[in-house]
Amino acid sequence: MNPVYLDHAATTPVRKEVRAAMEPYALGAFGNASSTHRWGQVARAALENARAEIAESLGAQSSEIHFIRGGTESDNLALIGSYRAQRESADGRTPSVVVTTVEHSAVLEAAAYLETSEGATLTTLRVSPDGTVDLSALEPAIADGPATVSMMWVNNETGIILPVGEATQRAHARGALMHTDACQALGKVRVHVGDVPVDLLTATAHKINGPKGMGLLFVREGTSLHPLIHGGSQERALRPGTEDIAGAVGLAKAVRLAVEEQAEKALRLEGIRDDLEEGLRGTIPGLRVNCAKAKRACHVSSLGIPNVSDASGLLMALDLEGIAVSGGSACHSGSGKGSHVIGALYGEDDPMATVRLSFGLGTSEADVERALEVLPRVVTRMTAGA
Amino acid sequence: MSRVLVAMSGGVDSSLAAALLVEQGHEVVGVTMKTFCYSGTKSHGKTCCGLDGIMDAKRVADALSIPHYVFDVEENFTRDVIDDFVSEYARGRTPNPCVRCNSHTKFRDLLERGRALDCDQIATGHYVRVEEEAGRTWLARGRDESKDQSYFLWGLPPSMIPQLLFPVGELTKTEVRERARKLALATADKPESQEICFVPSGDYRDLLQKRLGSVHPALEPGALVRTDGTVVGEHQGYAGFTVGQRKGLGGGFPEPMFVLEIRPDQREVVIGLHDELFSDNVTVAELNWLQGEPKQGASVHVQLRYRARAVPATISASGEKLELALDDPFAAVTPGQSAVVFDGDRVLGGGRILKAELASHA
Repeated sequence: MNPVYLDHAATTPVRKEVRAAMEPYALGAFGNASSTHRWGQVARAALENARAEIAESLGAQSSEIHFIRGGTESDNLALIGSYRAQRESADGRTPSVVVTTVEHSAVLEAAAYLETSEGATLTTLRVSPDGTVDLSALEPAIADGPATVSMMWVNNETGIILPVGEATQRAHARGALMHTDACQALGKVRVHVGDVPVDLLTATAHKINGPKGMGLLFVREGTSLHPLIHGGSQERALRPGTEDIAGAVGLAKAVRLAVEEQAEKALRLEGIRDDLEEGLRGTIPGLRVNCAKAKRACHVSSLGIPNVSDASGLLMALDLEGIAVSGGSACHSGSGKGSHVIGALYGEDDPMATVRLSFGLGTSEADVERALEVLPRVVTRMTAGA
Repeated sequence: MSRVLVAMSGGVDSSLAAALLVEQGHEVVGVTMKTFCYSGTKSHGKTCCGLDGIMDAKRVADALSIPHYVFDVEENFTRDVIDDFVSEYARGRTPNPCVRCNSHTKFRDLLERGRALDCDQIATGHYVRVEEEAGRTWLARGRDESKDQSYFLWGLPPSMIPQLLFPVGELTKTEVRERARKLALATADKPESQEICFVPSGDYRDLLQKRLGSVHPALEPGALVRTDGTVVGEHQGYAGFTVGQRKGLGGGFPEPMFVLEIRPDQREVVIGLHDELFSDNVTVAELNWLQGEPKQGASVHVQLRYRARAVPATISASGEKLELALDDPFAAVTPGQSAVVFDGDRVLGGGRILKAELASHA
């Protein structure tokens, strides 16, 4: 039987429209967009068309879209770049950085780096399993001097939708910059920088059926950033280096389709997710659907499974049965392994093994049925052996 | 054919073991155990389970079209192998971490993982064999005498033996390399692992210092003494010595001197002439028998260190501890090392050497 891929929050297959858009540049037109000659002109036109396409899809201006090599790099540039720019213009005051407990490691580790190596004042906002963020700690953290607040739009492990709109309002009221990592949000919820006026927004192609290694950073006009990489003026000197034209074209196509199809996709995947969760509730005793009461994006189902001590073994057993999913349980016994997200939401001593199923392009009801058949069987075997 | 879990270290032996099982038509699942955290350490090309090993195993598994998983046994490994290693040196003994790993970590974890993954059998790339006779299953030496690894496996849970497969146990190392080359396995010409996997630098004293703290009797200077108590020099910590060692004793002796004994309570290292190294009465503790306890008075062969020849002995007492009377005195029997008891090629069991004496002095 064909294996079933239920790990779209990890990465996604490149869709055929994206591949078709990329092909002329990946295989043919190889010019350097900075060149004067016609090879360069072809590349430049493709790059700027891609930029405009993305800007239109997100409600931005072309000049605000910067091609960055992936989400992690984009997050780092947003946090570290804004911190250094603020520090330079802050006449001696140390800028503050505010994040939440459930951010991606790219944000958490960049923020921790700023705290330990560059003297940033770091505040981490708590998030509850019902999706609420402790915003009461936000104002005091940014009251004094320059600050950047970074809050992901949709959490990658649980699907919870964070209150980025409200946080943006509060941040702006105190003059702080607002960054959001929207890698998991794009294509699943409406992402528009006119509706939610963040200053910095990270997205990446490979989560929306585009190529790996290509992402973007939206930088609202007037927002000052220092580059992390030096050596050229590409991407308004924020990300020097010869541009990846095929990647940019692929990203643009993926963004456009993700935004166009978002509402319809959300409806379809929510149905799939709800069917799956309902079915498993009946067949896995003691199952906990993580963050079930929170507002969640359509594509992630995070399940806490009782009496399975070996969460990684569960993933292996599922893979052998043809079901590809991810894990992410709390860090047991302080070993530093496991998921900081589940740990932050349910406590570091949470006894559940966590399995994340995530859906996307091509996920069918038949896949759900297969998961409904295999998961309880494997869980029973794992709990019997415990 | 059954589903087999094969432990792949990323070396040529376990790579070929996996390949042979695939050839035989088994459904094979490859796993590599991650034994400790590699972040912050340099490359360990020479050790068996390093990060390079994991990636090599993944390449081989991919070439064989079998699934491959990494499982993290760091916690158990640290507790059962590294902590034991350190405390044994602190007690003036010479541990054998590979025996400890096989007995306490590797095979038990494989068994558990195999159960979870619905595997009927467990395979590794060890140079040993499993022999069946009259309904009993024996662990036996590998065909390649120079590579035989049965010394490391006396501590396995006996009930596990019938589930084990050792596909390279019938081959010589040369044959393994040849067949691996013929199959174009990425690891065909990979050098042997030499170092202890958690001591990639080869100097275990750094590890002891890190884990014992800089002030510990095992790492403090003490006296080098002769058997009659005469102090003949000073050493920089008894944990740096093992019985039979010749290096590091300082010069100035008319004849070559060897470590005879370590006395942790007095922080003394006893040294003497080669003739004084011999003993013929060995006490062994922490026993494990694979086919039941042998009878008192039984004639057996015992191997007292890796790569040593098994020597004839008589079991003079058994039970909680084993007393072995060696037919001939043996040099440098070392507390902490394994004593493995054989009947011909078959492993009966073994234990850790507690002490050794020369009967005439006992």
